Amino acid sequence: MSHIESPTDVAAIQEELIKSRRVLGADIESTSASVVTMNFVVFVDDPAHRVWVLVRAQLVAQKHPSRLIVLDSTNASGVEVSSATRENSGATIVNERVHIGVQKLDHASIISLTQELSVPHIQTVLWWSGGRLLQSRTFSGLAQSAATVLVDSSGKVRGEETIRELGEFLSRFPGVVLNDLAFMRLLPWQEMIAQFFDDPALREDLFSIDGLRIESGSDAEALYLAGWLGSRLSWEIAERDAFRDRRGRRIPFEKIDKGDQRRVQSVVLTAGASTYRAALSEADPHVVALSVEGERAKPVRYMPLQNIGNTSLIERAILVSSRDQIFETSLLTVRELLG
Amino acid sequence: MATDVGTRRPSDGAAVNPLRAGLDSNRITDPLNVVFFGASGDLTKRMLMPAMYNLRLNDVLPTNFGIIGFSRSEKSHYDFREEMKEAVDEFSRSGPVKEPLWTDFANRLHYIQGSFDDPEEFKDLKRQLEENDEKLGTAGNRLYYLATPPAVFTKVVQQLAAVGLGPKDQAKGWSRIVVEKPFGTDLDSARALQAEVMKVFDEKQVYRIDHYLGKEPVQDIMALRFANVMFEPIWNRLYVDCVQITAAETVGVEGRGGYYEHAGALRDMIQNHVMNLLALVAMEPPISPNADDVRDEKFKVLSAMRPIAEDQVSRVTARGQYGPGLIEGKPVPGYREEESVDPSSVTETYACVKFLIDNWRWAEVPFYLRSGKRLARKHSEIAVKFRGIPHRIFGEAGDQIETNTLVMKIQPDEGVSLRFNAKVPGPKMHIRGVTMDFNYGTGFGVESAPAYERLIADAMRGDATLFTRWDAVEQAWQAVMPVLNRWSDTRTLDFPNYLAGSQGPQSADALLVADGREWRRI
Repeated sequence: MSHIESPTDVAAIQEELIKSRRVLGADIESTSASVVTMNFVVFVDDPAHRVWVLVRAQLVAQKHPSRLIVLDSTNASGVEVSSATRENSGATIVNERVHIGVQKLDHASIISLTQELSVPHIQTVLWWSGGRLLQSRTFSGLAQSAATVLVDSSGKVRGEETIRELGEFLSRFPGVVLNDLAFMRLLPWQEMIAQFFDDPALREDLFSIDGLRIESGSDAEALYLAGWLGSRLSWEIAERDAFRDRRGRRIPFEKIDKGDQRRVQSVVLTAGASTYRAALSEADPHVVALSVEGERAKPVRYMPLQNIGNTSLIERAILVSSRDQIFETSLLTVRELLG
Repeated sequence: MATDVGTRRPSDGAAVNPLRAGLDSNRITDPLNVVFFGASGDLTKRMLMPAMYNLRLNDVLPTNFGIIGFSRSEKSHYDFREEMKEAVDEFSRSGPVKEPLWTDFANRLHYIQGSFDDPEEFKDLKRQLEENDEKLGTAGNRLYYLATPPAVFTKVVQQLAAVGLGPKDQAKGWSRIVVEKPFGTDLDSARALQAEVMKVFDEKQVYRIDHYLGKEPVQDIMALRFANVMFEPIWNRLYVDCVQITAAETVGVEGRGGYYEHAGALRDMIQNHVMNLLALVAMEPPISPNADDVRDEKFKVLSAMRPIAEDQVSRVTARGQYGPGLIEGKPVPGYREEESVDPSSVTETYACVKFLIDNWRWAEVPFYLRSGKRLARKHSEIAVKFRGIPHRIFGEAGDQIETNTLVMKIQPDEGVSLRFNAKVPGPKMHIRGVTMDFNYGTGFGVESAPAYERLIADAMRGDATLFTRWDAVEQAWQAVMPVLNRWSDTRTLDFPNYLAGSQGPQSADALLVADGREWRRI
């Protein structure tokens, strides 16, 4: 790994990249080729979250040979350049990593630096873990040249404002694919809720829902689940904590803060005299107990909760090349709900 | 009569569940029963039940499902569940079972003890299926899985029909049948088996499984060929010199000597796995990735294979049998010393065949296929070797200008490798062959599903793309029959003729040398 003092010395950084690749080539064999699938730009500004982000970024870059450009706005300074290899079933995967301390750089320098260091003609994925979104000129500038932007609206530093901003992002950057880890994490819960109503005998209840209660450790997941249900079932917003169904009936929405951050604990839907409940099992947090009580009662069933790892979610995000209409309509529903 | 169109579309009405729209779910939507015939056998314990349990853990199985084991051994439902729990504990990639999921899964396991000859016991099966439909909500959908010795395939199919469990007798739902390889032991037996199966099932309801096709790199071949434009213009006789397909193993017969004595490398590997690879690499671009479009093209190319005249067999084939040798530095016995193998056996453990494809694209391009046990390295690949340059203008006199080779690596390495020539830096114009390798890294925490999981799930979904259609099976048998006939008539006397841990018999090398070529090293 090489260290360069000045983060804006692009020529020196490029030279170090070439050097480190040559050294690596000598390690592998005298003639080698490198393959790059994307520029993976990662912005981090929360010291408490820094290692978490960097570890996952590195894992993704190891699987998808990348030029990883880390824009580190914590205490780091200078530039570190490295090329790394990873053995995989006898083949060697080569990754390049440029880690830049950007705390003292203004937004224009960061954007310019990133563009100059990016490999041309291949897609750029921006994983933005910074606190501010559209209020940050760095974010807007980097997003402009990205094919995909990945954020996580969940967690303590996030709030409703993040979701509002993401709603605005959709209209400001129509050519960019936006992904929110908080929404992507919900897939297993969407699956659980959907499967209640795969049974044709119960499907009618889907259109008679008169109550929704979601327990989760952070707001984003509860809001997104509600937004997803609302957008799928053509609900309208009645007020901040209630929807209105297609027949105009009010559906109260209760959001309860419970459990670990980024984790949903339970979802309860009431429909007339029946209650549909999906809740984490007390015996095993990786299992969900599904029950229907009341008029259409069914025995409790246990389903595995496919909590997809964050690294896998990031990978999914970078592999998607078109906008996700389901996510976007859910997001816009939530934005409207928040007012 | 219920019909099964064999598509991915769900047929239980889940499609109209508005919450499913756009949901990126792997879950199989049709409720169903899976019946494993041969439920006490090794395949069920080692592969099938662990695969089912993992499909459950990964949330792929439908909400409503039942599993019924059918076998000769006497045991209760409870015994069967315990036995399967032990099997999953031992063989599942996800480790020992977890509660309460196992109990939820096990409650859906039932067992029927029966002989494959006895219609009464198939009536018990029918009763259990009907009970599952009522209590588990399995909606009359049935996937029968023949995990039995091939000798009883026909009996099972006949008994299903006799008790009204065939698809033609079904008032609701669909039925499909999964048949393990080998599908017949030669062309005649395969045709006889097919005729019996067709009395009960339509071709679209038959899923002939070849677990090799469930492997990710095999599917990558399609992506390489048909998701890139640069290879297609040179993927033909004008640019390709030959294609070498290798499926080499280091293992011996691994306790399957009894089976292998009657099979041999040609039946066990070339006729199915390796021919499937040939079809994938040589077929024309299908109009879509749908099962029948892909299988149409595979059939067309297999049917264009030039028949081998029996008197030409010795010129286009070679066979071998391993003697004692060293594998990874450890001594291993010869084939004739293996358990359940005749000490004077003439069964081949290595086979190679040169095929030609008589069509516009491949006229006179040889396809060399080889497979063997106890070879130097576990190694499967398809190598497309291109023709030499037409006129040499570069390189010092001593430089060897290699021909370009594109290698699709299947196992254990997975990926694509391209060999081409480049100038060595320096004042002189030295040319040297270099290799450009590419493969994705392996996943992080998310393993690729083993082939059986992928294929069982596909059969449950009604996606037959990775299963072999009868016309391809028949063509593959037709292609190898002259070799099988000739080999059975002319018993070779020089077995064993290669050392365990070697590159194979010299006769295989000689086959290519006669054509002015050589094998890639294993």
